[in-house]
Amino acid sequence: MVGGRKSRSAGPVPPSTTLILDNGANTIKAGFVTDEKTDEPRVIPNCLARDRHKKVYIGSDLEKCKDFGEISFRRPVEKGFVVNWEAQKEIWDHEFFDDKAPQKCDPSETRLVLAEQPNSLPALQSHCDQMVFEEFGFASYYRGIGPAFNAYQDVQDMFRTPRAPDPIVELPAEVVLLVDSGYSHTTVTPILQGRPLHPAIRRLDVGGKLMTNYLTRLLSVRHFDMRNDTYIVNEMKEAACYVSLDFKGDLEKTWKGTRGERRESYLTGAGIAKDYVLPDSHTRFHGVVRDYEPAATSKARRLAGGVSTEDIITLRNERFAVPEVLFHPPDIGMRQPGLADLVMQSLSVLPVGLWPGLLANMVVVGGNALFDNFIQRLQTEILERVPDDCIVRVARPANPITSTYYGAANFAKHEHVEKLAVTKQEYEEHGAGWVARRFAAGLGVDS
Amino acid sequence: MNNFGVIELASTKTTHAPGWAYVPDTGPSQAAAALAPTNRKRAARNNQNTLSYSDVSARQDVKIRKELEQLDKDTHKDVNIPIPAKAGRVQQKHTPNVRKILQSQKTFANHLDDYQALLALAETNPAAAAAAALAAGVNNPVSKGGGGGTTAANSASGTPAPQQPPGGADKGGVGGSKRSAAAAKRAAAAEAKNKKKQPAQVEKGRRDEQEDVEMTDAPQTEEPTTETTGEVTGAEKEREGEGEGEREGVQPQQPQSYPRDGTILSAYQRPPPPSHPADNDPLLVSRVPPFPTDDELRALMTAPPLSYLDARAAWGDEERKYPARTFCDVCGYWGRVRCIKCGARVCALDCLDVHREECITRYGL
Ligand SMILES: [Zn+2]
Ligand SMILES: [Zn+2]
Repeated sequence: MVGGRKSRSAGPVPPSTTLILDNGANTIKAGFVTDEKTDEPRVIPNCLARDRHKKVYIGSDLEKCKDFGEISFRRPVEKGFVVNWEAQKEIWDHEFFDDKAPQKCDPSETRLVLAEQPNSLPALQSHCDQMVFEEFGFASYYRGIGPAFNAYQDVQDMFRTPRAPDPIVELPAEVVLLVDSGYSHTTVTPILQGRPLHPAIRRLDVGGKLMTNYLTRLLSVRHFDMRNDTYIVNEMKEAACYVSLDFKGDLEKTWKGTRGERRESYLTGAGIAKDYVLPDSHTRFHGVVRDYEPAATSKARRLAGGVSTEDIITLRNERFAVPEVLFHPPDIGMRQPGLADLVMQSLSVLPVGLWPGLLANMVVVGGNALFDNFIQRLQTEILERVPDDCIVRVARPANPITSTYYGAANFAKHEHVEKLAVTKQEYEEHGAGWVARRFAAGLGVDS
Repeated sequence: MNNFGVIELASTKTTHAPGWAYVPDTGPSQAAAALAPTNRKRAARNNQNTLSYSDVSARQDVKIRKELEQLDKDTHKDVNIPIPAKAGRVQQKHTPNVRKILQSQKTFANHLDDYQALLALAETNPAAAAAAALAAGVNNPVSKGGGGGTTAANSASGTPAPQQPPGGADKGGVGGSKRSAAAAKRAAAAEAKNKKKQPAQVEKGRRDEQEDVEMTDAPQTEEPTTETTGEVTGAEKEREGEGEGEREGVQPQQPQSYPRDGTILSAYQRPPPPSHPADNDPLLVSRVPPFPTDDELRALMTAPPLSYLDARAAWGDEERKYPARTFCDVCGYWGRVRCIKCGARVCALDCLDVHREECITRYGL
C-alpha cells in the first residue's frame, strides 16, 4: 500500500516484480516486468485536465473526455523533470496505488525502475528519491537516464543489419548514439555498452510543446485565435505536420504569389496543402485531415449542401515550417544549433575513433520521431557534415514513444539492474545523498 | 502584452500612411540606409514614425524574446487546477521531507536559480558554500568508502539523510568573510525555504565517483523481447552485407582485431568481409581514425553528468554561419520586405497591408 513504511524490508532476495515508469512531461509509459513477462506499457497522460465545464480529469481519466475545447492542463513535469510532486503524487496514486487504480501496485513488494531526463538538478533528483522511498515505500529502486535504457534493445534489428537468423543479441548494445526528441526538449546521448558518455550529452530546447505553441501562433495570426485550444492544435500538429526534405521548394509551392496573381501551385495545393476539419465538440471529437479542396469547390459544396457546419483550416507552409524549428532553430529567433549540429557538437568532445561507430548507429526516439521524414532529414544533414567515407545510419524504432520503456524493461531483467538498484533499507541506512551519488556513478567500467 | 500577434484581418484596402514604404530588404546595412531620411522636411514630418535602425531592431529583439517566452510556456493562461478532494481516501501521514516536497510550489526556474546560486558560491568561496550547505540542513551521510568529505566542496555535496530534523536550517551563514557570510546566508535562505537538498556535486570532477560501485562489463546474452520493425535510413545500403556496419563498415580491409589492444569494447571477431577487387585501390582506402585507449574510454564512461545549463547546446562557429532566414510575419513565405516602423518582415504588398493593421495597433500611427 501507499507509504508502506512498516512493511518488511527488502531482504537479500530482490522483488520479483518491477514497475517501469518512463515519466514523461506529456505521458507516462508504465508497465510491470517479471522474469517471465514484459507488459505492454500503458500510455497515461501525465496531467490534471479541466474541461470547459469545469470537470477535472486525472491521468488516464482523460480518455473519458469528449470535448477538448478550451481544456486546460496542469503538468507535474516541467522541462522534462518532475517539479510538482503534489500533482505527480495525485496522478501516480490514481494510476498505481489507489484501491481502484488501473495498474495496482504494491510498492513494498516491487522494484521501481524510473527513467529520467539527462542533466537534471540534484535537488529535483533528491526529491524524487525521497518520494519513492519515504512516501511510496518501494522495496527497491533505480533511477537512470531514459536515453541510456534504449541501449538495452536489439539495436541492430532496428537497422535491419544483415546477420544470421536468430542471432544471439548481447545487451546492452555496444555503441549507440541516441536522439530523444520529446515534449520538453531534444537530447543527444552517446552510449557505450549502456553507459552514457555524460560529457557529450547535449540538449536543444525544442520539443513537442514548443512546436505546438508555434503552430498555435501561426494559426492565430493567419486564421483564428486557438491559444486556448492547444490540445486541438497538438492533434493537428501530430496529424498534419512533416519534416521537409526540400524546405525552399516546399515554401515556394505554398506561396500565394504577388498581389492579384495567385500562383498555380497555391490554387491546386501542390500536394502540400491539406484541409484540417476541426472538432465541433458535438459529433466530431477529434479533428480530421483531408485532401485540400480548392476554395471554389468547397464554396460550391457549401451552396449545394446548405449551411456548412464544418470549421476547416487549410494548412500550407505550417505543415513543414513547424518541425523545421528542430533543424533550424534560428527560424524562430532561437540561438541554438539545429539537430544535426547538436549531434556534431556532441561528437566533437569525443575521440574521433568513436565517431564511425556512433554515426552508424543513431537511433531516434520520442514522439517527434513520428514526423514523416524526420530520420531522412537528420541523415541527410549529418552526411553533409562528415567525411565522405563515413557511414551514417539513422533508425527509428517501431514505436519511438515506448522505446525507452521497453529498453528499461530489458534493463530490469539484466544483471546490471542488480548492480545499480538501491533497497529501501540501504536508503534508510545511508541516506538520500548516498543514493544520489550511487546513481550518478553508474555502472563504472571494469574492475 | 504579447498576444501571439493576433490581429484583425484587413479586408479593405488602406492607403499608405507616411512612414510606410515598400522597402526591398537585402540586408541590415541597406535597410538602414533606406531608412535614413535624406530630406530634412520629410524627416521632421516623420519624426514620430521614422525610427533609427537600432530602434527598429530593438523592437524586433523585444518581440522575438517575448515570442520565445510564449513558445516556452506550458499554458497560454495561468491555470490553477487544484487537486480534487478525495472521498474515502485516508489522509496519509507524511515524513517531514515528503511534507516539504509536497508543499513546494517552486517552478523549475526557481530550482535552477537556486542551483546556479549555489554553484556560483562554491566557485568563489567553497567554505561559504559548505557553510551554506550545512546551514541549509544538509547532512552528508558517510558511505561505506568514506573517501569523500574531506574538502569543503565535498562536504557540501551531500543530501540529507531521511531522518534529518526539519529545523536544521536555522544556523544561518557562518562564512569566513562578511561577503561570504552574506552569500552563504542568501544561499542558505534559498535552500531553507522549502527544500533542503543540495546539488550532489558542487564542484565538477571533485566527487569520488568510484565509491561503492561494483564494476564488471561483461555484457549478458539475452533474448530480444521487443519487436522493432521501425524505420531506417539507407546510407548503409550500398554496403549491405558487411555485417554490423559499425566499425567494419568504414574500414573494409581492416584485419580481425579492431579496436586493437582494447578490452572495453569487444574486438571484431567475425571473418573479414569478402574481398573486393577495389580493396587495394589507393583512392578507395579509408583512413581509420585511431581508436581511443581504454583509459580514454574509461574516463568518458565514468565522467559525471554536466549541469543542466552546461548540457544546453550553444551556438558554435558553425551555427553562426547559418543563413539568417527571415519569413513573412503574415503568411510565412520569405520575408523580403521590411516594415520601416517596427522592422517586421513581410513577403509583398498583400501581406504588408495586413501587417500594417497590426503595427498600428501595437505602435500607433
Ligand atoms: Zn506574406
Ligand atoms: Zn510594422
